Amino acid sequence: MIEQLGQNVIKTIGNTGRFSRFAWAAHGTMARTLFKPKTYPRILTQMYAIGVLSVPVVMATGAFVGMILALQSYDQLAHMGLEERMGVLINKAVIRELGPVLAAIMLAGRVGGALTAELGTMNVTEQISAVESMGTDPIRYLVAPRVLACLLLTPLLIIYADLVGILGGFVVSVFQLKINAGAYWSYSASGVEMWDITTGILKGFFFGGAIATISCYKGFNCREGAQGVGEACTEAFVGSFMMILVLNYIFTVVFDAIYKSFWTVKPLL
Amino acid sequence: MTRKSVQSDDGILVTRHLTKRYNGGVVLDNISLAIEEGKTTVIIGPSGCGKTVFMKHLIALERPTAGKVFFQGKRIDDLDEQQLAKIRTKYGFCFQMSALFDSLTVYENITFPARQHYRITNDKALDEMVKQKLALVGMDGFQNYYPASLSGGQKKRVALARAIALNPEIILYDEPTTGLDPITSDVINELVMKLKEEMQATSVVVTHDMKSAYKVGDRIVMLHNGRIIADGDAEFIRHHPHDVVQQFIHGRVGEAELAALRLGGTRFETQFTPEDFK
Repeated sequence: MIEQLGQNVIKTIGNTGRFSRFAWAAHGTMARTLFKPKTYPRILTQMYAIGVLSVPVVMATGAFVGMILALQSYDQLAHMGLEERMGVLINKAVIRELGPVLAAIMLAGRVGGALTAELGTMNVTEQISAVESMGTDPIRYLVAPRVLACLLLTPLLIIYADLVGILGGFVVSVFQLKINAGAYWSYSASGVEMWDITTGILKGFFFGGAIATISCYKGFNCREGAQGVGEACTEAFVGSFMMILVLNYIFTVVFDAIYKSFWTVKPLL
Repeated sequence: MTRKSVQSDDGILVTRHLTKRYNGGVVLDNISLAIEEGKTTVIIGPSGCGKTVFMKHLIALERPTAGKVFFQGKRIDDLDEQQLAKIRTKYGFCFQMSALFDSLTVYENITFPARQHYRITNDKALDEMVKQKLALVGMDGFQNYYPASLSGGQKKRVALARAIALNPEIILYDEPTTGLDPITSDVINELVMKLKEEMQATSVVVTHDMKSAYKVGDRIVMLHNGRIIADGDAEFIRHHPHDVVQQFIHGRVGEAELAALRLGGTRFETQFTPEDFK
């Protein structure tokens, strides 16, 4: 049993090290490709696949989050006569947590799965070796554009999710639950701060980077055969999902600490 | 057989005491081999004997556990990717499953290495280059096809055209005839010979197809269990005294394997029908 434990520890450390090196190389090359106009067409192609095509699903996710929040919170708040303040709750929750996290999870499924399957198949059919054998760094050619596209577009997609989430919450609250629209908006405006919006969107960069890096890594290291690619996709999704949750927790703690330390001087800013 | 020790400048590609282990299993065991410039060296051996792994070491796609690899007298197995990138432009690698990029057309596949390494300003010249390379393998006119719509033999030929796109000094073929019908196989063999003549390139062919090995090879090296067990021209290999070599080149199963097959089960024990499991 101890032997088994030791083996697993060694394996975990080895995998973490390999992943760190991969992530380091990917982000280093990514930064360099930013200054090479030759690679822009490839980045744009990826942006289309990763960003533009994800807009509908991300918007649908956002809309339902806003709508369900309105339905669920109405009874509780109405009980206390606070239903007019629903806007604060819905919008703050959507903008700070639910919008970014759920949009990122949606992307992990839609984009991460596709990236792993694509790169995994390329790996199995030796296309990645072929890139390498022709003297091109596969991380520069294949990974960097994907990571860059995902990293830059996730925050934008989060803005979409937030926007539609706010609208969804508004529509259900005002038209279905008959809350006064003026009160709804004025309470929302007083409750939601610029800080909430900034941190929510800021998270997107990290979520996007994590999704693309994990998915590409899994694709590059997938085992042979249909089963290998399938397993890699599963691992990529579970890995991205977990990473999103962990990162989200860390950011909430960090941003909270920053917020609290500047809270006293905020009126001056 | 005693071999004199191989020096780094004995050939264009040299391995010295090359050893590769995967998770404890030895795949290549102390292989020293010098590949001579301008000749075709064929590496034969049964599936799983490490010949593809050996070839991947020649272009540093795999790194050795121990030992060294030299290209034109310079060590390449310890270089980083950027230094290797320059050296790899002198190589052409033709993969077993062709490994054409399926998201790119034939034209884009062949221009891929050129576009990666040079700033192309003259598209006309590039068109001409693609046309010439495709004509060399008899595939001119297929520029705008996607790999998915080509047959296995056609893919192989396009892969050959891509491998020679940068006029390499050395061409590596990983099982070029595997999975092709006999006639297409022979076409590929002819192409391997033609490319050697026209490009003046050194070729290394990994195969287990003996017909192809005899036809294209100036020198045949046989690997078995990660070691070189025979090394010489076609005539030498044909009359090699070693049992394993004779079995391999005649495609005969060995006594030991036959015995194992017989022990696998007797007639009555193995003749189950689905009804037996009800």
